[in-house]
Amino acid sequence: MPDFADKLKPASPDGPSILAKERSQSDVPVDELAQHLLSRSDFLKRQEKILPVVSKDPLFNKTKQMNLSRPERYQLGLARAKKLRLLADQHGWDTKDQEMSQYLCDDVSPFMVHVSMWINTVREQGDDEQRRYWLPKIEAWEAIGCYAQTELGHGSNVRGIELQSRWDPKTKEFVLHSPTLTASKWWNGSMGRTGNHAIVIAQLLVPKSNESKELVNHGPHPFIVQIRDLKTHEPLDGIIVGDIGPKYGYAPMDNGYMLFDNFRIPHSAMLARYSKVDPNTSKYSKPANTAVVYGSLTFVRATIIMHARLIMARAVTNAVRYTSIRRQFSDRDSSDRSAPELSVLDYTTVQIRILPLLATAFALHYTGEAMHNLYEGTRAEIEKGDFGRLAVLHAQSSGLKSLCTELAANSIETCRRAMGGHGFMASSGMVQLNNDYLSKPTVEGDNHMITQQTASYLLKRMAAAVAGKGKPVDEVERDCREWLSKEHNRKMPTPKVLESDEEIVDAFRRRSRDQTYRAYVERDIKKRSWNSLLIQLRKISIAESQSILVKNFYDGVQSSTLSSPARKHLSTLFRLFALYTMDAEARDFAKAGAVSNDDLDELPFKIQELMAQVRPHAVSLVDSWKIPDFLLDSALGRYDGRVYEDLFNRAHRLNPLNEITFNPYYKNEEIIMGSGGGDVEKLLAKL
Amino acid sequence: MSEIPGWVKALKPSGPQGSELLEHERNKSNIDVDQLSTFLFTREGMERKKRILDILQKEKVFDKSQNYFAGRIDRFETALARAKRLSQLQDAHNWTQDDKMVANDLISEPGPYGLHEGMYLITLRDQGNAEQHEKFLKPAQAYRHIGCYAQTELGHGSNVRGLETTATWNPEDQTFTIHSPHLTASKWWIGSLGRTANHAVVMAQLIIGGKSMGPHPFVVQIRDLKTHQPLPNIYVGDIGPKFGYNTMDNGFLLFNHVKVPHISMLARFSSVDPKTNRYVRPASPSLVYGTLTWVRSTIVMQAGGVLARGVTIATRYAAVRRQFQDRDAPEWEQGENQVINYTTVQIRLLPLLATTFALHFTGKGMMALYAANQKKMSQSANSGDSKRGAGPEETHSGSDLLADLHATSCGLKSLASSTAVEGLEMCRRACGGHGYSSFSGIGPWYADYLPTATWEGDNYMLTQQVARYLLKSARTVLKGGEPTNDTTSILSYFLKRQDQGAAFDILGSDSDLVSAFAWRASFLTFEALRHRDEQKKAWNDLLVDFYRLSRAHAQYIVVKNFYETLQAPTSELSSETLAIMHKLFRLYALHTLESEASEFYTSAAVTVRQIQLARTNAVMNLLTEIRPHALRLVDAWDFPDWQLDSSLGRKDGKVYEDMFHRAAELNPLNRVTINPYPDSPILFQNNDSASLKSKL
Ligand SMILES: Cc1cc2nc3c(=O)[nH]c(=O)nc-3n(C[C@H](O)[C@H](O)[C@H](O)COP(=O)(O)OP(=O)(O)OC[C@H]3O[C@@H](n4cnc5c(N)ncnc54)[C@H](O)[C@@H]3O)c2cc1C
Ligand SMILES: Cc1cc2nc3c(=O)[nH]c(=O)nc-3n(C[C@H](O)[C@H](O)[C@H](O)COP(=O)(O)OP(=O)(O)OC[C@H]3O[C@@H](n4cnc5c(N)ncnc54)[C@H](O)[C@@H]3O)c2cc1C
Repeated sequence: MPDFADKLKPASPDGPSILAKERSQSDVPVDELAQHLLSRSDFLKRQEKILPVVSKDPLFNKTKQMNLSRPERYQLGLARAKKLRLLADQHGWDTKDQEMSQYLCDDVSPFMVHVSMWINTVREQGDDEQRRYWLPKIEAWEAIGCYAQTELGHGSNVRGIELQSRWDPKTKEFVLHSPTLTASKWWNGSMGRTGNHAIVIAQLLVPKSNESKELVNHGPHPFIVQIRDLKTHEPLDGIIVGDIGPKYGYAPMDNGYMLFDNFRIPHSAMLARYSKVDPNTSKYSKPANTAVVYGSLTFVRATIIMHARLIMARAVTNAVRYTSIRRQFSDRDSSDRSAPELSVLDYTTVQIRILPLLATAFALHYTGEAMHNLYEGTRAEIEKGDFGRLAVLHAQSSGLKSLCTELAANSIETCRRAMGGHGFMASSGMVQLNNDYLSKPTVEGDNHMITQQTASYLLKRMAAAVAGKGKPVDEVERDCREWLSKEHNRKMPTPKVLESDEEIVDAFRRRSRDQTYRAYVERDIKKRSWNSLLIQLRKISIAESQSILVKNFYDGVQSSTLSSPARKHLSTLFRLFALYTMDAEARDFAKAGAVSNDDLDELPFKIQELMAQVRPHAVSLVDSWKIPDFLLDSALGRYDGRVYEDLFNRAHRLNPLNEITFNPYYKNEEIIMGSGGGDVEKLLAKL
Repeated sequence: MSEIPGWVKALKPSGPQGSELLEHERNKSNIDVDQLSTFLFTREGMERKKRILDILQKEKVFDKSQNYFAGRIDRFETALARAKRLSQLQDAHNWTQDDKMVANDLISEPGPYGLHEGMYLITLRDQGNAEQHEKFLKPAQAYRHIGCYAQTELGHGSNVRGLETTATWNPEDQTFTIHSPHLTASKWWIGSLGRTANHAVVMAQLIIGGKSMGPHPFVVQIRDLKTHQPLPNIYVGDIGPKFGYNTMDNGFLLFNHVKVPHISMLARFSSVDPKTNRYVRPASPSLVYGTLTWVRSTIVMQAGGVLARGVTIATRYAAVRRQFQDRDAPEWEQGENQVINYTTVQIRLLPLLATTFALHFTGKGMMALYAANQKKMSQSANSGDSKRGAGPEETHSGSDLLADLHATSCGLKSLASSTAVEGLEMCRRACGGHGYSSFSGIGPWYADYLPTATWEGDNYMLTQQVARYLLKSARTVLKGGEPTNDTTSILSYFLKRQDQGAAFDILGSDSDLVSAFAWRASFLTFEALRHRDEQKKAWNDLLVDFYRLSRAHAQYIVVKNFYETLQAPTSELSSETLAIMHKLFRLYALHTLESEASEFYTSAAVTVRQIQLARTNAVMNLLTEIRPHALRLVDAWDFPDWQLDSSLGRKDGKVYEDMFHRAAELNPLNRVTINPYPDSPILFQNNDSASLKSKL
């Protein structure tokens, strides 16, 4: 439909010319940085390979999807997931390629758990025979599965789940049974409508002996269960399963609920790599070393952090590009009344919200890298049962998961709000991003809960260091001892954080040790209850995690072989991240004697100075994350800067609501103009 | 979906039932819920709510059970049906505007008539002259004209002076030509415009004889009253899906040289003389500031209730949800801990609970001040003293109550709406996994509330107005001016005492606690003044300081209002309730103080030791003391379940039953069986999937 709007252009300067100017004023080596950030597993190469395939297919067109109802979103998600799998077959994509296609498609796929937890659990916890039997079916997407651990009544406390799996020695079967409503499985992804199988976690109940009636509870164990008919896809008898309904995000995903009514499964259903029940004697045996899962958990958490950095990069890309283009008001201090309007990114209250987050995306990168490297570097040792350094990292990884997902989740909303009214549009590209990602602070360990694991570990090491017996068991304890003998007794000078980057790292370390020590005194010496200390425990986990982020950032930049302009910008970002973080927790640093009061007073000015240094390079720095427009799906964050044209195009030409003329007069029963009535009845039928 | 089998229907949640847990909670406290509710809302307000709720619940069209599932178009269509029905009910029951507002509150979704009722009618009333009232207001009141308020454009929102739409005066035929010269001139975000309105108040740059006179309001018909199609050379539509607010048709609007008659320009305050072609100056802009102040005070007061919904849901759920046994619990103690017993849950929820009351009282206080001031103004207007403008820039600060009120309302709007927004998300996350379900009722509510942080002045931008005002006040005080209002009083006090320092007993005395907040705000004001006037720092370099300053000032106002509210009522609240309210006051104040510790410390309002004691002792003790009353305190907010529409926040605690019921029985997705295998093109086995592609 041609109309007079077609001829209109945005007022000048337009987006493309603004971004061109921003890009030309910066010496950031965008491609070099991109290689530096995105080389692991050939990320960038894969992106270049998969992007054209996916973005060409109209099924992956995202612009209108926010209008769809929940059932439609699921249906679309299903169509896309199937299509991606067909494309993978057609193009011979490997697993990593498929992950990339998923990432670009940006749906939380109804098969997400199938390709992650389901297959991984069978791989890791199945014995050889189970693996031989199941893996081919899983890889062919015939046995489509999910991971059913959480229940209506229990999530964090896995030991408290209520579903029972009772061993029946007579028939040599397990009997799955949900004794209460709260025993219903709940939240389990890919289960509501998609899966035909599930890993079901249930309390294993085994009779004391074949004859005995007395049951012994061995705690939660995993079972493979077929839940739907392979032809009709209807639930099997004795199983109730369905989708749990709409959520904050995750619209294409069918998180499910499931109940069992004395449902029988064979002996081979119990995943038996580690624990097993002898089918003849009914004897239960369990693994000697329970630490085997360290490796994969740490790997999962490293992956979460690598993902978090891309989420932040995406939010910041949208925010930096849009706030560079958006102009509002001319400079107050300018005497020229006709001065052009300022780019809102020039306002320091906009900078302070966005630029430290830009720096944080880089910070997460280096810690994700460090965790991956360590995991890979120690794999051989792990196989031998030597956990060494990995055990430490494992303990630290809970705190890191909590902090990094929290930072990433909050960054999206902070950036979105910094974009003013247009940030509220679905076409900002921030809405689905936010809604989907906000699951992360809760899943894989609730962020407020799992920090207790890191805290508990730190307290133990500090207690051991205070006791000082024998050799320290690991590097954290060694460092605690050193801190106790030196810094704790104020034997070391206060770090000069404004002069030396290395001393910034040291200040973070000292503050973390100090916090741990204080908590140790409360818990071990004053014998305060665990619950009364939870808030403090959370703080020591955060302090340690921040210290790790700062150290890895520093080491990562130091050890890199980057060109000098790249290093210069990374060092600035390092300082911005570290000092911004320090400023927010200033009192802790003062208490620990890790930074002088004078330096702390100076921090806000220093931060503003650093932001001024980053500002001219902000557009190029976000460019170096190479987030494709297809993924951004944002009118505001487009690479070419055609913000207003795209906003208008989506509103005007791609908006199904505008295809309907409504009748607005309340005394008239018509809702849609010219329908002749009866609309309300149709609506009522849907309610 | 097949019938729910008997064995499923027979299942109950394990352990103590939700209703038992909540009953037990309610028995722990002797707060008189009804009395506290009455104190908050008045008897009349509560009865009104009940009366209207009864009517709404009987109407099928207001049934909420499918809201969380539907797509954008269905949601809008239903919202329109609801808006129409509501207007019919208003006629049938003779509802006042207040009654209708209560009804909207209970329905809790933005409706397509929202801006007609909220802005169009009011703008016509306040800014139109008698002739315009006859021509525009009357048909609007009869809903023959349905209007909206079109100010914001694609390119400009905050900077209203930068609007690009023009209204050029044509002396030849005494008309205005409304025109959009650029794409960025397109009106944007305008509520009720996209599909509903047939009229708009359009803000456009008035141009007379080639000279721009700044933005002015024009009434423009945009759609045909019969066919509802746009008039020629007008391009109008809905802007598309948003984070929330999807039941509202926010719209865009472009004009291609559209002529409107002279009467279209709203002329109460300024006009073009058709005989001389001269621009006639505004009479009294202070009234406009007045409305803004009123709107912002309303936002402050509402913020308390908005947040209270999240706090009600999260608190009730945290009392029903049990997870883990207490680590330090003795062997014999069985059963899991209610998560509300974990201090990391308490520290998130209880200060927010205190905040709901703090904001409510502050909003009330602001509205009372506003009303008192309006009265004074109309008196002095009669006595001929109406020369003075009202904006903070035009006034001699320190001598004008309205200026003080205006600045205060800016800072409070920013603080209150940001607090409510962040608080709601905090409540949602505190609910763990189930908080992520739409059935928690928090997420959708949060999404609809979010734009409040942006409209009526972006929360960051507004703080500059506060800072500007505080700096002016500080300058007058430095020059030796006598204090004339609260701001100048606290600044003068600080100036006199700054060399002696302050020794506020924040842990022992409530009034000292208030003074410590005043002290810190004053300290930051003079610091900012030093940067600006002595060190000549650029305005833009100080924005972050201004933001902090405004926040500090607003927090002071909140603490002060909370304190003063509790000083006043002796008879309305029982002494037990009053004692708890005092604790909530202290929790709000001390928790805020310790979160902003370094400012309090740097300003020497408190010592490091005091902060440490506040954090480790006072706040922790208050959490323990308030904990048993949490349930009754949220009950006092008196939200009907129908309004909350939440499984987690049900008053009877039947959390799990309700979650299951909604998932299994109300969920349309469970009515389809799918085909999961990639090589099959079938998606929904009993549903046509081809139609999907046409929707992309
Ligand atoms: C989108 C999404 C997808 C999911 N996918 C799956 C899946 O595929 N399979 C699956 O099995 N599960 C899945 N889950 C469930 C998820 O793992 C749980 O929701 C998560 O572990 C949190 O547990 P919870 O919901 O029980 O939270 P709760 O433990 O009930 O948390 C409620 C509150 O209590 C606090 N709390 C709890 N315990 C303590 C304590 N000891 N100390 C202090 N505070 C405490 C928490 O911090 C929180 O504030 C999913 C969840 C979501 C949201
Ligand atoms: C749901 C919704 C409904 C709305 N309904 C209506 C309506 O009915 N009618 C109507 O006319 N409008 C409406 N609006 C528009 C709303 O009033 C504007 O979005 C709002 O005024 C913010 O302006 P903006 O979008 O231009 O933000 P911008 O000014 O572009 O803000 C972008 C960023 O720049 C910053 N910034 C801007 N200027 C400065 C400065 N001088 N100093 C420091 N920082 C600065 C802001 O803090 C923000 O971070 C609506 C908006 C929404 C979201």
